[in-house]
Amino acid sequence: MRPELEEVQLLESYLQGNLSEEQSLDVSVRLLWNQEWQQKLAAQKLAYQALRLAGRQQLRRELDAIYVRLFG
Amino acid sequence: MNATQSLVMDADLLTDREQTMERIYARTYPMVRHYVREHGGTEADAKDLFHEAMIMFYEKTVQNQLTLTSSVSTYLMGICKNLWRQEVEKRKRKTELAESHAESVWEEPDLDGESSLALMSFVNQLGETCRSVLVSFYYFGQRLDQIARQRGYQSIRSATVQKFKCLERLRKLVGHLSVDHFKS
Repeated sequence: MRPELEEVQLLESYLQGNLSEEQSLDVSVRLLWNQEWQQKLAAQKLAYQALRLAGRQQLRRELDAIYVRLFG
Repeated sequence: MNATQSLVMDADLLTDREQTMERIYARTYPMVRHYVREHGGTEADAKDLFHEAMIMFYEKTVQNQLTLTSSVSTYLMGICKNLWRQEVEKRKRKTELAESHAESVWEEPDLDGESSLALMSFVNQLGETCRSVLVSFYYFGQRLDQIARQRGYQSIRSATVQKFKCLERLRKLVGHLSVDHFKS
């Protein structure tokens, strides 16, 4: 994977708490001084939130379709 | 329901969502509808309530937060009864305050409607392939091998790379927003 994608993966593991203690500390320290990283992390969190909303919307649509099929 | 049955159910829900949900729906919805009608609600109330309960159930299953000690139907019925009690209370209070339209307990609490729509529009801008890969993985809890099979990727590795490419694109899209605006 290209470095940008590695970084997305690293931040994902960081947010999920899947890094070793040492790696996690590295990321935390880097986040303290690197504003670009802070912004990337914030945007990544927002991306997950967007996916949760989009997923819920799709699930609601699927449930509506089942309702129509079974009881509509 | 024992632990093994519950695990099988979980697996079915994640790998064969529509059919598993339809089975649960057929079995449980009539009970919910009966309960809500008996307690002053309408068919539309029952449907909204049940969908909300199904969403909670699905999300808890994906996040592995659920250990069922009873059947799925009993569990869902319990959620619905609780939600309906809250809703009735809320509507009573609203009436007392003479407010014109009641908000429901099952509306998305984190963000206002406009922000939610803005966020969702970014997901839709990704195009069908990326949208589907990301939502399947992050929301519906599908495994990457299943996603790779369904979408014709050569390997789990290619599906993983694709997933992170799509996530990076989404991150860039939402990154243009003011992050403060979306603090939950």
